Amino acid sequence: MEIFDALYLGFSEAMSPTNLAFCLIGALLGTLIGVLPGIGPTATVAILLPITYFLPPLAALIMLAGIFYGAQYGGSTTAILVNLPGEASAVVTALDGHAMAKRGRAGAALATAALASFFAGTVATVALAVAGPVLSRFALSFGPAEYVALTVFGLLAATILASGSVIKAVGMVCLGLLLGMVGMDVSSGTTRLTFGSTDLYDGIDFVVIAVGLFGIAEIAINLESREARGTLAGKITRLWPTREDFRRAWPATLRGTALGTFLGVLPGGGATLSAFSAYSLEKKVSKTPEQFGTGMVEGVAAPESANNAGAQSSFIPLLTLGIPSNSIMAMMLGAMMIHGITPGPSVITNQPALFWGLIASMWIGNLMLLVINLPLIGVWVRLLQVPYRLLFPAILLFCCVGVYSVNNRGFDVALVIIFGLLGYLFRKAKCEPGPLLLGFVLGPLLETNLRRALLISQGDPSVLVQRPISATLFAASAILLVMMVLPAFRRKREEAFQEEEA
Amino acid sequence: MGAVTRAARGSRPDLLASAIFIGLGALVLWPSKDLPFGSAAMMGPGYLPVLVGSLVIILGVVIGLLGLWQHAESIGAVQLRPLLILLASVGGFALAAEYAGFIVAAAGLVIFGSMADREWRLREVLISSVVLTLFGVLVFIYGLDVQMRVGPF
Repeated sequence: MEIFDALYLGFSEAMSPTNLAFCLIGALLGTLIGVLPGIGPTATVAILLPITYFLPPLAALIMLAGIFYGAQYGGSTTAILVNLPGEASAVVTALDGHAMAKRGRAGAALATAALASFFAGTVATVALAVAGPVLSRFALSFGPAEYVALTVFGLLAATILASGSVIKAVGMVCLGLLLGMVGMDVSSGTTRLTFGSTDLYDGIDFVVIAVGLFGIAEIAINLESREARGTLAGKITRLWPTREDFRRAWPATLRGTALGTFLGVLPGGGATLSAFSAYSLEKKVSKTPEQFGTGMVEGVAAPESANNAGAQSSFIPLLTLGIPSNSIMAMMLGAMMIHGITPGPSVITNQPALFWGLIASMWIGNLMLLVINLPLIGVWVRLLQVPYRLLFPAILLFCCVGVYSVNNRGFDVALVIIFGLLGYLFRKAKCEPGPLLLGFVLGPLLETNLRRALLISQGDPSVLVQRPISATLFAASAILLVMMVLPAFRRKREEAFQEEEA
Repeated sequence: MGAVTRAARGSRPDLLASAIFIGLGALVLWPSKDLPFGSAAMMGPGYLPVLVGSLVIILGVVIGLLGLWQHAESIGAVQLRPLLILLASVGGFALAAEYAGFIVAAAGLVIFGSMADREWRLREVLISSVVLTLFGVLVFIYGLDVQMRVGPF
C-alpha cells in the first residue's frame, strides 16, 4: 500500500527531535492562547509568522499547525471550567460543559472533550492522508480557466459561510485583491498603487497586513472593552467519564467528527462553523432536545470533536489545491511562501517529506495534547489570572520585532500603523478582516490566471466556462449568489449564526 | 457618536463601512487612471485596479444606501486613547529601530505602549520593560539573529 509507505515517511520526519520539539511548542502555545481570552490563534499565528523564517520549513509548519489545533483544546478547558470560551469555536461547548461543571462533573466534561477531540483529530488526519493525493492528482490537470473558477468559488464561498454581512465580505475580498496589486506588475514591469514610494515596489508584505489587522487592532479592541471574568465552577474530582457518559458521547462524537471533517474542507469553514453546526445537529437528533444546556454530555462531545476535525481538515484545500479556506490557512500559505514553497498540487510530489511530515505531526500533536492537557489543567486555569495589562505589551513587542525582521526595515513597522488603524475601523464597521486576507493572498494567483486565460482566448470571457470543471465551479458560485438573495436561505443563515453572536 | 434617539433608522457600522469602501476605492482609482488600461485580451497594469476599485466604490454606495434603511444601530463605545497610544508606540518603534537600536526601541515600546491601558502601574511597567527588553535582546538579537543594532551607539 502506497499510503503506508507515505505515512511511514511522514512519521519518520515528524519524529525527528527538532520536529517533535516544535510540535510540542506549538501544541503548548496553542493551548496557552486557547485558554487566554483576548488572544486567539489567528493573532498568534500572525505574530509568530515572521519568526518561523528562522526555522526549517517543516518545523515552522508543524509549530503553526500545532497552535491552531492546540487552541481548540485550550479553548474548551476555560469554556468548561469558567464559562469563558477562550476561542470562538468553544462558545457552544460552554453551554453544556459549564453546566456539567456546575453539577460537579467538571472532570468528566474535560475528559470527554479531550477524548472526543483526540478521536476527531485521528479521523481528520486519516481523511487528509487519503484525500490529499487524490485531490492533488485531480488538480494537476487544472489550466488557467480552472484556477480562475476555483479561486472565485473559494473566495465567494468563504464570504457566505463566514458570519456577518455578505456584501461587506465581498467588499473586503476586493480590498484584499487591490492590496495584492500594490507594487511592480509582473507582466509589464510598471509600478502600481505605490503612491510614489520606492519602498512599496515589492508590494506590501503579508506579515504587515496580518499583524496590523489581527494583532494591533485586536489589542486596541480588547483594551476598549474589558471582558468580564468568569468564576471557577466546582473542583475537579472524578476525571474519568462514567459508562453512561461513554454510551451517550460515542455516537455524538462520530456525528461531530463527520460533520466537522466535511465542513472544514469547505471554503470559509473551519473550527467555529463546525462546532456550531454539530451542536445544532445534536439538538435535532436528540430525543430530549429541551435538556440541552443543562449539562448533556452530547453537547460537549459533538462540538469538541467537530471543531478539532474542522481545524484539521481545513488543511486539505490548502495542501492540495493551494487555496486557503480561512484566515489561518491564508497565514499558513504565507508561511510556506516565506520558505519558497508554493502550496498546491505539486507539494505532495515535490516535497513528500513536508506534506506527510505535517500530517503525521498533527496526529502526534493530538496525542501530546491528550497526554499533557488533562494533568496540566490546574496550571492552565491558574494562567487565566495573568492580567491583560501585563500580557499586551509583550504581544506588542512580538508584533513589532516580527514585522521588522521580515525585511529588516522600520518602514514595514510604520506600515503596520495604517493596517492597525484600518483593522480597528473594520471592526467598528462590523467588517470581518478574514476575507480581506484571503483576497490578498489569492489576488496574484487570480490575476495571473485570468490574464493567461483571456490571452489564450483573445479576450473572449466564455473560455472561463467552456471546460467542465470550471463551468461547474462557476455554476456553483452562481448558485451560492442566488441563494443569498433568496429570503428563506438568508433567514436560515442568520439563524445559524445567531447563537454565535449571543 | 451621539446616542440615536428619535431617528430609528440608520446603521452606523454600515455607514462607516460605506465610507471606508468609497474612500479606499477612490484612493485606488485616482492613481490608476494614469496606468495603461489595455483590453481583456492584453490587460494593461491598470485594467484590474480600475475594475476592482470601481466595484469597491459601487459596493460602498450600496452598503451605505441599505444602511440608511436598516434599524438604527450604534457603533458601540469608542475610546480613542488606547488605539492612538498603541499606534503611536508602534510608530516610535519603527523610528527607533532605524536610528536608536533595539534597547531604546523595545523599552520605549513597552513603557509607552503600556499607557494604552487605564490600569497603568509605574512599578509593573518598569519591571516588565526591563524583563521584555532583556528577553528580546537574548532571543531576537542573539538567538534569532534579527539584524538590528542593540544600543544607540
